[in-house]
Amino acid sequence: MTFLQQLPIVFGALNVGFLQTLKLFGITLVGALPLGLIIAFGSMSRFRPLSIVTRFFVWIIRGTPLMIQLLIIFYFPSMALGQPIWGSGENGRFAASAAAFIINYACYFSEIYRGGIQSIPVGQLEAGQVLGMTRGQIFVRIMLLQVIKRIVPPVSNEIITLVKDTALARIIALQEIIWAGTAFLKGSQGISGQVWPLFFTALYYLVFSGALTLLFGWVEKRLDYFRG
Amino acid sequence: MKKIIALALVLTLVLTLFAGCGKKADANSDLKYVKDKGTLVVGITDFAPMDYKDASGNWIGFDADMAAAFAASLGVKVEFVEIDWDNKVLELDSKNIDCVWNGMTLTSEVTAAMSCSKPYCNNAQVVIVPAAKAADYQTSESCADLQFAVEAGSAGEAEVTALGYSCTPVQSQAAALMEVAAGTSDAAVIDSLMAAAMVGEGTGYADLTYTAKLNSEEYGVGFRTGSDLTAALNDFFAASYKDGSMQACADTYGVTAALIAQ
Repeated sequence: MTFLQQLPIVFGALNVGFLQTLKLFGITLVGALPLGLIIAFGSMSRFRPLSIVTRFFVWIIRGTPLMIQLLIIFYFPSMALGQPIWGSGENGRFAASAAAFIINYACYFSEIYRGGIQSIPVGQLEAGQVLGMTRGQIFVRIMLLQVIKRIVPPVSNEIITLVKDTALARIIALQEIIWAGTAFLKGSQGISGQVWPLFFTALYYLVFSGALTLLFGWVEKRLDYFRG
Repeated sequence: MKKIIALALVLTLVLTLFAGCGKKADANSDLKYVKDKGTLVVGITDFAPMDYKDASGNWIGFDADMAAAFAASLGVKVEFVEIDWDNKVLELDSKNIDCVWNGMTLTSEVTAAMSCSKPYCNNAQVVIVPAAKAADYQTSESCADLQFAVEAGSAGEAEVTALGYSCTPVQSQAAALMEVAAGTSDAAVIDSLMAAAMVGEGTGYADLTYTAKLNSEEYGVGFRTGSDLTAALNDFFAASYKDGSMQACADTYGVTAALIAQ
């Protein structure tokens, strides 16, 4: 098979794989961004047991490799219960990957949120209290926008890392783009022993994170009118 | 406050213990489990000529066709799931798959961790070297000074280690081939059936070839330990060998010479 004949087959397979990568990326953001805020409030809680338990949880998740978390989340419950809990086939693997990524990234986001919230000078809180605002009002009306502006750079850093971390899901055989690229090494759809599709996957990541970088630059600019 | 924390910790520990104990509860029939659920989930990797996709994306190959026929004989549907080969025992034990049916060499590690069928195909571990140097490395003795790349946990790794040659374990047999093609290792050891399909003229690795045979070995199908599906498959193999459908399937995929009489 000539290179030109290989191209459409390889692109087809890589596109299918990259779609899976994007799905995992998207669902992780949708789940982890709000969950991170809940965890951040938990770890800042004035109710000590809650904040201790939350910080303990964050320590466990940030202190162990995501790859191990994927393996444990996918295999351990099924082995303990004696029946698969994640559903069969590709969908089960996707659900388990999504759960692992959402929990993992929510913990990292929570620390970014906590840093952002605690960076607001306490004087603003006191000023709000003098004006008779509740804690909720102070958070929404005074602090929120300043926090958002401050956390955009670290959050975008984390999001760009996430694009590439999705590749870890191949450890539980989620067929994302690296898996699709590797398939041509050992032979798939009549193409075997080809390493260039695997190397070529890097370009997909590069283009996608480039687009994200532009997006975050634009977001930062939009928030620029507001001096925090 | 301290009491609450202590309570929470104790609770976590107790739950963990329970989770650990629940494991050995199922002494039930695996055959019944598969029949009740209506599908036989077969764990595979993309591995021509045993399991691979045709142009329209369906799984075909000697193993895939036999697995489909076996499922049909049980009256259940067949479902193929691609797995990470390193995790095959985990996949079985967590019931994400019901069997490993993918040209699996019956090593002592494999037979200890799974309930295995009778062997159905002969295989050998062969040495892969660049075609230009092949003349110098025709016997296993002549390969003593080479740096080998082998799949971690594979039969090839066991052979090379037994011979006392230096080797680098890599992720897969395909990665071992890539090491040789890239020149980062001098030689690789992989399955002869795979070597026949993947190296030499007309393949992606046209400038590699295979030389010395290090051993001979056999392929089998793996089930969960203690599974009664193993006996059912042995009966199925015997029946399909007797009526010739197994030989016909082997002919289709060019593995007739390796087939073992059932």
